[in-house]
Amino acid sequence: MTEPIPAVQIKHLTKEFKAPSGKANQGTQIRAVDDVSLSIMPGEVYGLIGPNGSGKSTTMKALLGLIAPTSGSCYVFGKNSLKTDSRQDIGFLPENPYFYKHLSGEETLRFYAKLCGMRGKQMHSRVDEMLELVSLNDARKRRIAGYSKGMLQRIGLAQALIHQPRLLILDEPTAGVDPLGSRDIRDLIIQLKERGVTVFLCSHLLEQVQEVCDHVGIIFNGKIVREGKLEDLIAIEDQTEIVLKNAHADELDQMRQLIDSSSESELIRIGKPKTTLERLFLNEAKKSAAKQQTTGETHAK
Amino acid sequence: MPSNGPNESNYSSGLGGLSGLFSLRRIGVIAAHTFTQLMRMKVFYFLVVFAVLMLFASFFDMPWSRTAEDTAEQELIILKSTAMGAMTMFSTLFAIAATALLIPKDLEDRTLYTILSKPVPRLDYLLGKLTGVLMLVAASLLLMDGLLSFILEVRTHGLITQEIAQGEAQQWPQSYIDFRVSAIAQQGVTWHLQAGIAAIFFKAMIMAAMALLISTFSSSTLFTIVIAVVIYFMGHFTSDARSYWLDNQQQSVSFAAKTMSQLGALILPDFQLYNIIDATIEGKKVSLAIIGRLTILTFLYSGIYSVLAWFTFRKKEF
Repeated sequence: MTEPIPAVQIKHLTKEFKAPSGKANQGTQIRAVDDVSLSIMPGEVYGLIGPNGSGKSTTMKALLGLIAPTSGSCYVFGKNSLKTDSRQDIGFLPENPYFYKHLSGEETLRFYAKLCGMRGKQMHSRVDEMLELVSLNDARKRRIAGYSKGMLQRIGLAQALIHQPRLLILDEPTAGVDPLGSRDIRDLIIQLKERGVTVFLCSHLLEQVQEVCDHVGIIFNGKIVREGKLEDLIAIEDQTEIVLKNAHADELDQMRQLIDSSSESELIRIGKPKTTLERLFLNEAKKSAAKQQTTGETHAK
Repeated sequence: MPSNGPNESNYSSGLGGLSGLFSLRRIGVIAAHTFTQLMRMKVFYFLVVFAVLMLFASFFDMPWSRTAEDTAEQELIILKSTAMGAMTMFSTLFAIAATALLIPKDLEDRTLYTILSKPVPRLDYLLGKLTGVLMLVAASLLLMDGLLSFILEVRTHGLITQEIAQGEAQQWPQSYIDFRVSAIAQQGVTWHLQAGIAAIFFKAMIMAAMALLISTFSSSTLFTIVIAVVIYFMGHFTSDARSYWLDNQQQSVSFAAKTMSQLGALILPDFQLYNIIDATIEGKKVSLAIIGRLTILTFLYSGIYSVLAWFTFRKKEF
């Protein structure tokens, strides 16, 4: 059986830039990405995490052919990323995307669809599908200039998906988006994964990466310092977690005694697990929305 | 939930030109979008200025110009000169400014990222932008041409009627009246005048391609506009400068120097060749051969600048 072609293959990518003028080190080369190698198999969701200026965006730009590697190479489904046809399989959402303000949401999607060679009924139905998917049907005729940050991000995601790409590249997909919008985007990424789309995302919002990614790479100062399956990377090998529901104090005492009697085991912590602030916010928002709806219905009656 | 599965079928990449080097369909998409973008930027407002200028020019009677016998023609020449001068200025400035503005704006707004991350060759992007600007220049020139032709036709008709009445009152021989009518009609709306307007478009086309080239390496829109305007003015003197230099040097000019001067003429546009604009204002006839030569020359200049722009842009990093 032949090995499947990786969706993304980056081999020893190095990218150097000239130091900008006016700086003390003017004329010298700054290494933004240093010998990065990684491989993403079809259907995986890969998160590249790292602080600002660590080389995440440069790696993505190299993969999109927007910059040429100083050395090394990038491949998308086996095609060199410097070749235009490799982009047929890519959908890209840049960080803080801006689109042509004079176009409406629908016109924007039509423009990008036409650029990908789509036309006629196929294009129109795909545009409708995408507007439905990102919940912008009501705003389809509105000019982009009047879109909120979250709406811009969603239309950006729709344009990235318009030509049904096999690989979706997302640069900080939830930057500046409120928690509800952010949740929608994450849900969408999970749905896309279920449909076999490979996702490569960059973020410094670690909790979000943890929720959607199954593979993670940590980049620091242009170098990949850790990489692998998320589960393997975050598991603490010498610890075991037991979560109980409605446990009685006596039962807990018995457990403590049992652990104390062991020569090797050590009890580190017993307490109530904490939810995240985000989950708390989403639950409260959901409750408030339901309450508002009920009040509205009562008034209507 | 709509289908979002991976793309299994390949979409049409468009009608390929020059053995797949570029896609005419994709260039058309970008050009149509650029045209809409400029339209919605309300650039057509300058046509209102042109219309007002035309109205002033058509009703502005210049008594001091009525010294010679052929004063009727003189009025029409002044009208054409004003209109075509404005058309040249508007179309050239617009071609330079719009082209200089569009690519840096796309880069600043990051829309360029979303376009180039689609299967869009950079040549398609450049040619699409250029074509979009030229479509708008052509559309505005057509509108201005329509307005000029209408006013010119009305004025010509009025002047011919006046001239016939004057001739009959002063009992001019019929042959002389016919001669005068023909002389006035020659200054009216003719195909030769349309050739002059085509030459205005050609100049704008060359300058748009030049601005495109400069904007691919320039660091600011202002720099692109200033350099393009300087080149535009230089283009009106390159021919004279070259002739003067070659004549002064006489026999001492080497083959290399001659070649260099010719290369210079090729790189810098020679706008003196486009002087048919002045000839058509004066009512002179322009042969088809000259129009053909100018068309070839325009496409040659624009082609060279576009190819150079592509060479710079294809390796540009964003």
